Amino acid sequence: MNRHAVFWRVALLIAPLSVFGVFVVWPLLDSFYYSFTDWNGFNPNYRFIGFENFARVVTDRLFTNAILNTVVWMVLALLLPTLGGLALALLLDSYAVRGANVFKSIFYLPICLSAVVVGQIWVWIYQPDWGLLNSFVEAVTGEPETFAWLAKPQSALYSVIVAWSWQQMGLSMVIFLAGLTAVPADLTEAASIEGANGWQKTWHVVLPMLRPATVVVVALSVINSLKGFDILYIMTAGGPFHSSDTLAMFMYNESFKKYKMGYGSAISVILFLLTLAIIFLYFRQLRKLDEIHG
Amino acid sequence: MRETMPFKAAALAGAFALTGGFGWGGSALAEGEVTISHYFSGELGRAGLEKIFAKFQDAKGITVKDSPIGHEDFKAGILVRAAGGNLPDVFSYWAGARTQFVVDAGNLGAIDEMWGARGLDSVVAKSLADGATMYNGSRYLVPFGYHYAGMFYNTKVMADAGVTEFPTDWDGFMALCADLKAKGVTPIALGSKDRWPAQFWFDYLLLRTAGPDYRAKLMAGEAAYTDDEVKAAMALWKELVDAGYFTANANADGWTDASDKVARGDAAMTLMGTWITGYWNGNGLMAGDDYDFFEFPAIADGVPNAVVGPVDGLLISANAPNRANAEELLAFLVSDEESQGIWAQAQGALSPNVGVDESIYTSVMTRALAAVGNADTFAFNYDLATTPPMAEHGLSMFARFMDDPSGYEGFLADTEDGAKEVFGK
Repeated sequence: MNRHAVFWRVALLIAPLSVFGVFVVWPLLDSFYYSFTDWNGFNPNYRFIGFENFARVVTDRLFTNAILNTVVWMVLALLLPTLGGLALALLLDSYAVRGANVFKSIFYLPICLSAVVVGQIWVWIYQPDWGLLNSFVEAVTGEPETFAWLAKPQSALYSVIVAWSWQQMGLSMVIFLAGLTAVPADLTEAASIEGANGWQKTWHVVLPMLRPATVVVVALSVINSLKGFDILYIMTAGGPFHSSDTLAMFMYNESFKKYKMGYGSAISVILFLLTLAIIFLYFRQLRKLDEIHG
Repeated sequence: MRETMPFKAAALAGAFALTGGFGWGGSALAEGEVTISHYFSGELGRAGLEKIFAKFQDAKGITVKDSPIGHEDFKAGILVRAAGGNLPDVFSYWAGARTQFVVDAGNLGAIDEMWGARGLDSVVAKSLADGATMYNGSRYLVPFGYHYAGMFYNTKVMADAGVTEFPTDWDGFMALCADLKAKGVTPIALGSKDRWPAQFWFDYLLLRTAGPDYRAKLMAGEAAYTDDEVKAAMALWKELVDAGYFTANANADGWTDASDKVARGDAAMTLMGTWITGYWNGNGLMAGDDYDFFEFPAIADGVPNAVVGPVDGLLISANAPNRANAEELLAFLVSDEESQGIWAQAQGALSPNVGVDESIYTSVMTRALAAVGNADTFAFNYDLATTPPMAEHGLSMFARFMDDPSGYEGFLADTEDGAKEVFGK
């Protein structure tokens, strides 16, 4: 490689690497740094307190609560859009559904909306006095219904997950539909000739053939669920009284509402390490699958 | 090779533009400017401020670079700017513990000299000057407007229910609520989705039972949330909730939802600050005809009469690049009586300027002004009276209480745990 080519490679890489460095690496290192301090965000005279912030999470019941909520969030935000998207794809791919393309577009549309818009739409749907959900329940049961879905600790997190899944399902559906086009018709026909019923064909022929699509859907769902902060912020902001605090939301509230920037940084470091572990495990699994399937 | 030089320069310049050339804060501004960030982002507030800033520019020849941020986002936004050493010349803030927090962090510039030189002692009401502007022995804050929290009600709903006299004591208040409920009207609307609207109930119940001195101790971490005084105030609140006097699902509504319920007649009254008058006026309601207020009733005998509310202040950051212009702006905003009038009408605020003609106020605001004037003490509302980290614990406790009033003793114990951590007790 001549010097000319080297220069251009370096020159063209400087811009993206600098942006990445300034907006990703630098803040990340800053978080590590502040996680060992008692900084409140305003006062420049903070102290280094070693691992005190990290030791504190062990006894902080709100941290434990946020961890549990994060687990619930990640599991459901993975399962619901994946299973829902798969069900829709299988249904819409069958020839029995007339106007399938129209339905495909309708189910895909929510993914085109920002999480803020989706959050606001669902805030209205869940509104206890005149929201769509309670109005529907009233119409079906004939009884007045005023349950406050987002204001009750037992339902707030799950209500947000439903809104999240509603949006994400369209993406999973499209990927599964693409995967279904790769399922050879002669395989399903052969299964039919062998006497397999619809369920057996789906379970033994179609689903195994959808493995590559499933890998993509799961990867996207995991990554998207880890990013799921905006919709929570709009719909509940972690409330009522921490019942929908995920780690990211908890970190935000501790840092910016309680002015515990050092502690918030420690939580963000923990969140970062957890995310790293999940991604590492995922890629290791992916490599294993690649090795098995060539 | 010669040809490549301009391209090299362009590529490097591009890289610089992407990384270093974003115009980071802290760069020197042109002369004749002052930057301000504030939380008056509502339609009426912004329109009022635009008029006022235009007046200031005409009078002083200084351009105001204005960046409004929504109320709740402002709290985090200003922290981010402080952390980055990138505060504007001037920013709005709430007088009390929040300002104390910023003063203690060394982020503010004192304004004693400017205050004296501009003669603001004779402009600002003494009670406000004493209680809201001094921190650690120096003056930091110029009050721009202040509010009073009272029981705002729908006049038609009250008239239809046959209410002609409004209660001045607790028994009378309970009787009014019972009467309204018996006539099919939900007495009280509360929208505590953002938590803070519930604080006025705690504030008044504690002030009217334990008194301002005890409350000041609690706010400073010198009394406990598990004290009998606090429990007694919460027990009164519980009585109201248990009796069904509050609208259902308070935690699902924001303060404007609760205000709308009163305006529509779905509820009779709401305990709220005078900014509700700005909101209602903006929606076409008429002060006196459509809405009015009465003072929170007395409860225990011999307790000084305290009123509750926030003071919106303006602060100058410690390293303001345009300090002289910033001082000019602050002095103008509080001294110019016409601007104060515009602000009072746009925001439903009371003016800290003693020279302001009372004719700028509606009949309701004139009575609110009198209520403040007749009070023994003006107390900041809860989240401005105690430190911001403590306020987070307390505000969550109020919302939790509204969800399950029966558990209040446990919630108070949890809040006291938070207080021990915050105050290092």
